Amino acid sequence: RPGPERVSKLGGLHEFARWPYPILTDSGGFQVMSLSALRKMSEQGVTFKSHIDGAKFEMSPERSIEIQALLDSDIQMQLDECIALPADATEIERAMELSLRWADRSLTAFHTQSDHNARAMFGIVQGGDNEALRVKSAQALGAMNMKGYSIGGLAVGEPQDVMMRMLDVTCPELPHEKPRYLMGVGTPDDMLKAIARGVDMFDCVMPTRAGRHGQAFTRYGKINLRNARHADDPRPLDENSTCPAARDYSRAYLHHLVRANESLGGMLLTWNNLSYYQDIMQGARDAIEAGTYADYMAATSEGWERGDLPVYAA
Amino acid sequence: MAADEPGHQVHVINIDIQDNHEEATLGGFLICELATILTSCEDLDNDIDEALQEFEIKRVIICAVCVFDMSVSVANKVKHPLQFTVLAQCPTTKARVGKMVLPHSEVDTPVFMPVGTQGTMKGLLPQEIEATGSKLILGNTYHLGHRPGSSLIAAQGGLHRFMKWDHGLLTDSGGFQMVSLLKLAEITEEGVRFQSPYDGSASVLTPERSIEIQNEIGADIIMQLDDVVSSTCPDRDRVEEAMHRTVRWLDRCLEAHQRKADQSLFPIVQGGLHEGLRKQCVEELLKRDVSGYAIGGLSGGESKDQFWRMVQVSTDLLPKDKPRYLMGVGVAVDLVVCVALGCDMFDCVFPTRTARFGCALVDEGQLNLSKSKFQKDFRPIDDSCPCSTCSRHSRAFLHQIATHETSACHLLSVHNITFQMRLMRRMAEAIRTRSFPEFIQQFMLKVFPEKDYPTWISDSLRAVGVTLVN
Repeated sequence: RPGPERVSKLGGLHEFARWPYPILTDSGGFQVMSLSALRKMSEQGVTFKSHIDGAKFEMSPERSIEIQALLDSDIQMQLDECIALPADATEIERAMELSLRWADRSLTAFHTQSDHNARAMFGIVQGGDNEALRVKSAQALGAMNMKGYSIGGLAVGEPQDVMMRMLDVTCPELPHEKPRYLMGVGTPDDMLKAIARGVDMFDCVMPTRAGRHGQAFTRYGKINLRNARHADDPRPLDENSTCPAARDYSRAYLHHLVRANESLGGMLLTWNNLSYYQDIMQGARDAIEAGTYADYMAATSEGWERGDLPVYAA
Repeated sequence: MAADEPGHQVHVINIDIQDNHEEATLGGFLICELATILTSCEDLDNDIDEALQEFEIKRVIICAVCVFDMSVSVANKVKHPLQFTVLAQCPTTKARVGKMVLPHSEVDTPVFMPVGTQGTMKGLLPQEIEATGSKLILGNTYHLGHRPGSSLIAAQGGLHRFMKWDHGLLTDSGGFQMVSLLKLAEITEEGVRFQSPYDGSASVLTPERSIEIQNEIGADIIMQLDDVVSSTCPDRDRVEEAMHRTVRWLDRCLEAHQRKADQSLFPIVQGGLHEGLRKQCVEELLKRDVSGYAIGGLSGGESKDQFWRMVQVSTDLLPKDKPRYLMGVGVAVDLVVCVALGCDMFDCVFPTRTARFGCALVDEGQLNLSKSKFQKDFRPIDDSCPCSTCSRHSRAFLHQIATHETSACHLLSVHNITFQMRLMRRMAEAIRTRSFPEFIQQFMLKVFPEKDYPTWISDSLRAVGVTLVN
């Protein structure tokens, strides 16, 4: 919903949503895992039963690429099979090999688009928490000469150190001069650690979802605006922020909005969170260019650790 | 410098400081320096130009220097924090265009006030509310008094600062929600007795307490606590009792009002659907020193025919030089009729509430955007509407998200409030150019293209000299 043919008739996603900047679409591979109760797998593709109206629809690598072309996104993803962790090695290997075959089919389909030179399609490294399989997947995809590479199948329930170990192993195997996109990640801490391991791109619902649930990400760590300690606090979230949501509204007001279930509360916190995420990315870029990334990571983490409680309360 | 004496002249110096912390700190020091220079001047009026010129050599730029007589504004500030002037009167109907000056804003009337019940308008940032053209919005005393509480709001500097709204605010008394929301609310001479829905404890909202809460919230206009009886109440004795009690409660409210210098207290005309009682009520209210009047007890379940006649009676009797606030109205046709009947101020949850159901307001009525007929309609809601929703999005897009996404509610709220504001402005323009009767005719023709005008609309408009197109 609303359906790719309809969006295409309406001028594509950029025109439909009036967003003039780049858009990246995923392929449906994640939902293979998240909606696993509603799908049937085969070599050909996935058959989903719609979670909205129960209607059946087919998703093959070819169809997924076709949908993404109709949506007219700038960066497309191959259709892959994403599996939850923990899983046993044979399952992981099966899914990884299937994803490689689907990468090939996706790329072929992508190249039939007349304007594919103006866009990109990324392959997705799978392999669960198995180092050898991750390496194999990365090398095979690297040989397909794609414009960029995603690392999928992480942040699916494994501990952070497992995810980091997979990045340690995977990133060196990917072509150095192409972007690496870690899908579905994450918290500010996840991202800073992943950047240190060579990741370039992230996506996550975290800042927007947390915002809707009354949580703010700030330089002082995560702040829960539902907490009663904010009820009388006239201070903003962060008086040094350039984001109006962080700088111009009192915690008392944000707390009130959140407790009163007013959508403005979620909006302001979402705005804050998205701004903060962009701030730390900008901070990371600046630090890397200046050669001070390790210090930047340490200082940022320290700020989160210290928190925002006034000294006398400690 | 005894600047609080009426008639004393004052120098006002504007200094341009960029809105960030460094500049603010620097600016603060520079202002202290300037103040020191000025206090050391022996003859300020003579020396000020030179002193400022020397100071201007520094980084901070001085924009304007003027001298004005504060006597008028000081005197008025003490007496009446509301100035109302009628700028134009429709020669046919009773409509008028006015200007209301409040502590926080200037408001053009007729004015529609959107309702920000809990100290926020559902999903709109203050600057988005501003962009709709609203200069005066409503907060609900009952809801805010309960959560976050009026003393908390006062501790945070008042509702304006709390919700970051720099323009006009009006609060109601809390009485209406008490009676409509609480299962066990009982009205006595003391006040409204009720059982807290949270812990069952007994409480009473007295006129004094309502004013105390509203003093703490700090709106520009506050409402008396009135004894509001449903407009469908068949018991004339009860309606009469409520009317008299409303007058007695007005006096208690005026007595309890602690902030007469910056908050205007409006009384509320009651009397149900009885012309005689309404007359009596107005007579009593006219004896009290107030800056405006509300017309209450209508827009409940009464027939439209009774509704307009009571509005007419009320506006016939109320003074012409003060604003008339018709509470709880309403939809576009009601607004057009009641402006013609001489009302200046209105409030209603309708535009924001209907937005939540996926409906957009246009002259012809409502577009229910969740209907499938809008699937391929690429036009904006209204191509003459300058709002951010209409300049960005199509009906087709809004159809896809209506009632699914919270952003649909916000986008439609922005449009609907803008629609109401534009309607007010269009009426004001028509009144000013002496073409209001034509405006009414054209508008009603859009709403009722088959010319099947409801009787109450033809009757009410005929009563003020307007005949609809046949």
